[in-house]
Amino acid sequence: MSEDTNLKRREFIGNGAKLAAGLTIAPGVVVYGLSEASVPDRPAEEPASSERRWGMLVDSNKCATGCDKCVTACGEENGWDDSEPNSSPEQKAQWIRKVELRHKGTGKSHSLPMMCQHCENPPCVDVCPTNASMKRADGIVLVDRHRCIGCRYCMMACPYKARSFIHETLTDQEPHMPRGKGTVESCTMCVHRVDEGREPACVEECPEQAILFGDLNDPDSAIAQALTRYDSTAVREDLGLNPGVRYRGI
Amino acid sequence: MRISKLLQMVPAALALTLSAPALAGDGAGPEVPKAIKGEECVEPTSDMRRNHMEYLKHHRDEALREGIRTKQYSLKQCLECHVAPEGDPQAPQDSSEHFCMACHEYAGVTIDCFQCHATQPKETASFHPLVTPGMKAIKDQAGRSGELLNQFAESHASKTRTGAIQ
Repeated sequence: MSEDTNLKRREFIGNGAKLAAGLTIAPGVVVYGLSEASVPDRPAEEPASSERRWGMLVDSNKCATGCDKCVTACGEENGWDDSEPNSSPEQKAQWIRKVELRHKGTGKSHSLPMMCQHCENPPCVDVCPTNASMKRADGIVLVDRHRCIGCRYCMMACPYKARSFIHETLTDQEPHMPRGKGTVESCTMCVHRVDEGREPACVEECPEQAILFGDLNDPDSAIAQALTRYDSTAVREDLGLNPGVRYRGI
Repeated sequence: MRISKLLQMVPAALALTLSAPALAGDGAGPEVPKAIKGEECVEPTSDMRRNHMEYLKHHRDEALREGIRTKQYSLKQCLECHVAPEGDPQAPQDSSEHFCMACHEYAGVTIDCFQCHATQPKETASFHPLVTPGMKAIKDQAGRSGELLNQFAESHASKTRTGAIQ
């Protein structure tokens, strides 16, 4: 902090927040949080706004074959990793999975994480008979389980196979992520963390920093800048869904 | 004369009928556990008894569908004050010791909240100042936050002694 005399305003505010998040144990002894303090982008009483659109840019060149840290991080964060002991792997909830792509001609293979792509025009929302499947104003696609009747129409409609159905009675859910039998679920882009000003669990845990998270509508955000600088692809761009998750190097 | 006498009796009869359930409720009501945190609820107790479901229902739609994350009427926040986390000596051992369920069982109300929602807060609730993602590993090692605090105090003290931290 001291060697950089050209502190930007944003960084300065960030540092102030870090100090504020410090914890006093005894007079003169202060413990500071190890990671950056999170500052929500809006007050708690304000609804999510369409001025933002949260998105991710996954760099498949960085994503290592055989690494599944994003998957385990998501499972632990949201509690779906070992919640259904009596279900087969095909039945179990899977919010994010690793996919290996291999070019048949050249043999070059890629690895990438695949999850809900948070489409601008989500087919799952179109087909839902109860309006349980919904898109929040800031572009995050969610299931309102208070309304979900478990018909699984959205699972059929999703071209990315991103949604799962819970078959078993669950206990010990995470307080921030209610889940229950008979409802459909998928990646929430860690909406509980995003609303606190934190990054999704997969982004945070990726050892290669292959996933970039941010506001696609903010031209100054790292993700928007990266998107203008590099080629990126939406999976099944032909469907015209305009996903919030884009990939590099595929 | 007879009518006026009857009329005089009406308030007395009314008072009797009104007080009967109140009298019955005094001894035979549900044993609702006391809140573990705080002195008063977000609304007066009588209001909460009658209207908590309306508040919760209103808040759940705002929270999920619009992203309004106020804590006043959040179910998670109810549990933070009314139910001790797992492993705590005060943690409920069965449903009769659980704040919500003790009363719902008495009143014969079947609700679906806890088919999906956690019934207890986690010790590592995200608003806790000690819980930041980077500290998770250390916390796993230390096991309990009390030990963690001691570790930090020690390491900070030793660093201050050696002059590593200004």
